[in-house]
Amino acid sequence: MIEKLKSHLKSSGCDGWEIQETASVCWEFYFIRHKLDQHRVVREKNYDVKLYKSTDGGKYLGCASCRISPTANDEEIEKQIRDLVFQASLVKNPAYSLVSKKTDRPGKLDEVDVESICRDYINGILGVNETEGELINSFEIFAKEIERYTLNSNGVEYRCRYPSSTIELVINARNGSEEIELYRLLKSGTCDRKRLTSDIEKLMGYGRDRLKAIPTPRIKTGDVVFSTSDAAKIYSYFLNKMSAGSVYRKISDWKIGEPVCTGEGDKITLKAVSRLENSSMDFEVDEEGSEIFDRFIIRNGVAENYWGSRQFSQYVGLDRSSIVHNAVFEGGQKDKADVRTGDFLEVVEFSSFQVDFLSGEIAGEIRLGYLHKDGEVSVVTGGSVSGSMTDAAGTMEFSRETVQYDTMVIPEVTKLKALRISGAE
Amino acid sequence: MKAPFSSYLQSICPAVTDLVNRLSDRYDYVSILSTDSVGFRISISQRSKMVSNSNITTERGNVVRVCRNGLYSEYAFNEFDPADIGRTAESISKELDRQLELLKTCGTEPYITPLLEDAPLVLFVEKETGSLPEEVDIGSIVEKFSALSDKGCKIVEHCIDCGVNGSSTHISKMFVSGNRCLKQSYVYTESNCFAYSADEKGEIKIAFDGVSGCGGPEIFDGLAGVLDQLPKTMNDLLSAEKIVPGEYEIVVDPGVAGLIAHEAFGHGVEMDMFVKERALGAEYIGKRVGSDLVTMHEGAKCAESVTAYAFDDEGTLAGDVTEIDRGILRAGICDALSALRLGTSATGNGKRESYSHKAYTRMTNTLFDSGDSTLEEMISSIKDGFLLRGSESGMEDPKHWGIQCIVSRGYEIKDGKLTGKVVSPIVMTGYVPDLLGSISMASADRGVFGNGMCGKGHKEWVKVADGGPYLKMKARLG
Repeated sequence: MIEKLKSHLKSSGCDGWEIQETASVCWEFYFIRHKLDQHRVVREKNYDVKLYKSTDGGKYLGCASCRISPTANDEEIEKQIRDLVFQASLVKNPAYSLVSKKTDRPGKLDEVDVESICRDYINGILGVNETEGELINSFEIFAKEIERYTLNSNGVEYRCRYPSSTIELVINARNGSEEIELYRLLKSGTCDRKRLTSDIEKLMGYGRDRLKAIPTPRIKTGDVVFSTSDAAKIYSYFLNKMSAGSVYRKISDWKIGEPVCTGEGDKITLKAVSRLENSSMDFEVDEEGSEIFDRFIIRNGVAENYWGSRQFSQYVGLDRSSIVHNAVFEGGQKDKADVRTGDFLEVVEFSSFQVDFLSGEIAGEIRLGYLHKDGEVSVVTGGSVSGSMTDAAGTMEFSRETVQYDTMVIPEVTKLKALRISGAE
Repeated sequence: MKAPFSSYLQSICPAVTDLVNRLSDRYDYVSILSTDSVGFRISISQRSKMVSNSNITTERGNVVRVCRNGLYSEYAFNEFDPADIGRTAESISKELDRQLELLKTCGTEPYITPLLEDAPLVLFVEKETGSLPEEVDIGSIVEKFSALSDKGCKIVEHCIDCGVNGSSTHISKMFVSGNRCLKQSYVYTESNCFAYSADEKGEIKIAFDGVSGCGGPEIFDGLAGVLDQLPKTMNDLLSAEKIVPGEYEIVVDPGVAGLIAHEAFGHGVEMDMFVKERALGAEYIGKRVGSDLVTMHEGAKCAESVTAYAFDDEGTLAGDVTEIDRGILRAGICDALSALRLGTSATGNGKRESYSHKAYTRMTNTLFDSGDSTLEEMISSIKDGFLLRGSESGMEDPKHWGIQCIVSRGYEIKDGKLTGKVVSPIVMTGYVPDLLGSISMASADRGVFGNGMCGKGHKEWVKVADGGPYLKMKARLG
């Protein structure tokens, strides 16, 4: 198929192309309590083609893309590519160049055993100590082997194979007739059984606490502590603001060499890394063929490097860049115990915590929180937290200790100050 | 014109039938859903332009569902050789058997489910559309979107960029089992205009709105009217203050009403959640969950929207379920396997993100019925509250009936009049029966909106539509 595509592309009259062949096999298991609801296999192969056409004497470079099915016949392929040539000529983006340097890095071809990953998940979950009061309601396991082959018209070629797995987990806690549930969607490369067990035990503890939660009182504004995967959304805000696409589109006004925010809070240090153990995107060359290299994106609160696709990176003046999949945020100055001081609300369960990176707005309904006030701790539920990263980023505090959530390493405990807290009383 | 059924699917139909027959020797039940959906996605703004012949619902592939001894299994694939069906059947059962071996070593037991009914049925539906995405002149759409983007940048205050996103998909699906052969073809289209500006603090404000429906790219004609609304929306956002958290009397616009319908008794009555005992709704059938003004319908037949199919992804015909009738919860929606487990009937709500994903109970059109009040009457009845406009996102909690809706703007009402003060953004939270129980007025008009996607938990994204009239209620805002 690749040869067929190359042949059609070469004779199409285009000015450049990229092909990404992705072959994947996914084993899936769905459980209700401990019983198997359904099991599934997904075997797919896809060909994503991007075709480039230069117009107006090289002033513009247009791109049009499509996914070609492995069952497409010659006639269909020819028509799709012909359509792409015309469509690319309509797209008037300022000219840029495709990746031309063939990577020296050898292909990364992990041996992926989806059966073994599934076995680890199933045994890990079924081995959890359930009690009358805390039990597993249901879970879904997805273990995937992905093999990606990237090539372009400049001779770039790279092949990688890596694992990607996801588990959706629902835990119940009950006390007599009252029952609550807690939800987690955990993603990683393979199954880390130790981490899985500890995450489930922590979740069961939250479940016990939620049964005794009282409505969140009216607080109006207060400091909020984040210590779960929701915190990753706060850190994604910094990563997104530093993307070349955001800067070029003027969604971000963060400038290289300048502080990304002002205030007395901890200073962000963000490093892009090519390899991150057990990340679900552990590979060294991005989807466009650019080598992913380790570099600081933000150092001590100062913007150091933008990152992004080939197109937007060149628009903001970067010769060498790549898409960032794995990001490491360094810890702060304080131990996590010292971040958790004073009066604050630690929210460990939101309905859906959101940080809008465009507007910086933060919002989430509180399902479970621990309200620390005057040395007392009450377990609360209901109401919401809202605010703005524009206001909160400069004064945020975070712990020295860090924790990994799939593709991101972030401080274990993060405090945002003076957020609005709507009570549920 | 009719949206023609895929010639590719037509060509593989005999081979698919052959595969069903071969697998039927080894399994108690076999069905195959095959898909071939084509379309495009175009995004044009001042700073970035993109054309793709793929979008979130374009696909070509197959999913086989089999059942043996009460256990259901699926095998999804997109490499298909009609000339070698014997080998395909062999590899499907071999790999599914390997999974069963693994399960044995883990000591797990199956959740035994009755056999799906397979009553004979032949269906061929080609829905009407004004045009087809695969035949439309992409050049003229790029031109139209570019002109809208140019105009938006001129008319929206402090505009950083203004753009248009649009996609259109010609869906073809074929469901084949031992006794059934269903084929359908329809087109849906969705599009939105957006503009962003920065306020004096440098905070980005985004104004957006869209059009959608069951039909082809002719639906983009409605974008001009949408764009004309953006300047006012942006002015409102730029002048907005932060809300003082508290409980208020509110009027919600039809878009926010749709969001409430979707989050409250859309997810709340998805009956696969009843099987897992994850939904409080199971205990409330026949009981009051809202005021007398609350009647809610759910089903692909309820409206000609982005999700108005003839049959679902399990081969069940589309339905129209009255979920709530004058405040009383009457029924939920159900996929085929959950219906067997619960001893009820499937409602035509078994949907997949794509052929490669599992079918779950999912929403289609979730709509509040209209009332007989006017918006003016509602506003004049409020002493201290807000008119909420601009639905953004929501989250359900079927186990505890908590609800979270993010809304773009609140327009202050004092003593029955809009004061001109705007607050933004707004997080609306509450307990669903309290929220629906507080509905005291509903307008006579109604809107249906299909620009959103819906996830199950935090995955499995499918197209849905929702809507309703203006509704007056009480809610907690923060």
